Amino acid sequence: MYLLENIGRLGVNSTKSVVDTFSFARKVIFRMFQPLTYNSAMRMVLVNQIYFTSVQILPVFLIVSIVLGSLLIGIVFQLLKQLGLTDYFGNVLMGLIVTELSPFFTVLFITLRSSSAINTEMAVMKVNGEIKTLETFRVDVINYLLIPRIINGIVSLVLLSSLFSIVLIISGMLFSWVIFGMSLDVYSNILLNSANFSDIVISLIKCAVFGFFITLIPIRYGLRASYEFTSIPIAVSGGMVSVFTAIIIIEVLSLVTKLF
Amino acid sequence: MNIALIPQYHENMPRHQAEDIARKALQRLDLAHIANKRNPSLTDEERFCVFLLRAVMVKNALVIIDRPFKIIPHLKDSAFIFQALKKIDDFYITCHIYDYQWMAEKYGEI
Repeated sequence: MYLLENIGRLGVNSTKSVVDTFSFARKVIFRMFQPLTYNSAMRMVLVNQIYFTSVQILPVFLIVSIVLGSLLIGIVFQLLKQLGLTDYFGNVLMGLIVTELSPFFTVLFITLRSSSAINTEMAVMKVNGEIKTLETFRVDVINYLLIPRIINGIVSLVLLSSLFSIVLIISGMLFSWVIFGMSLDVYSNILLNSANFSDIVISLIKCAVFGFFITLIPIRYGLRASYEFTSIPIAVSGGMVSVFTAIIIIEVLSLVTKLF
Repeated sequence: MNIALIPQYHENMPRHQAEDIARKALQRLDLAHIANKRNPSLTDEERFCVFLLRAVMVKNALVIIDRPFKIIPHLKDSAFIFQALKKIDDFYITCHIYDYQWMAEKYGEI
């Protein structure tokens, strides 16, 4: 009986948390489409956030994407050659590596770097009473703090994932020449024939959805911190676990979407 | 520059314009040099002035100071507080200070 009670409580709490997240998401999306949200202070925060997430990270991100992308492309191309599946390399490159792995690696990278930072920042602001101070001065916390970070998440994810894809395509060009002895003309021809417009659109939408949730969830968990310092690690760990769960759910849903 | 956020947000003014207002307000209190400092690096007096300026940045400001000596505990009397209020008296409509009865001697004859 005790076990059943625990399972039931867990189920109710999880459902409540998901419902709360979607209700919060609806409120945020509604605000995102209101012109009044985009005032001078909000735009300033948005520019700063994009700089912190997309620009400051660029050198490290480029190095990681070159190393990881080359490694991945090298292994996959070598494997295709060994299995005699050279004809399918365009489909593998575009269908698997560019549209699937590229958003996934980017979201993992941004989550580890920025989501954790946003989660901690929000929790610390709550504990220090900064959120309360902003409310006291009639500064709308959703417009001033939340929307810029969420838009930044969407913009950064789409841009960085595209950059990762470009790096992969360039390494693909190099490896196809080294492994298959393929010329640039043949390579670009195969790539264009394998590119599926709907896959690219789904991939970009997936990046935007990733960007939305990997910033919304940490913000929500950060704001759930109490006024005690001990609540900061609880809020951060809870937020990060939920973010990774959300990433897996979105990845599965995008695969399901592709099936139909 | 947290002071600048209030007019920038409320009046949707450009950042540099809001910063100018905040800087001029700080100059009145001879504190222009702290414009880019963060809260932990301020002295108690500087922090009090920043709180005060932030409060008067709203339109038709009504200032209520709750136990000012909690922010600047080492002050022997309220002269500093009243001097600061006097320097920016055109920024607010009225100001009320609330404190415990036993702190009355710090305020002297008002």
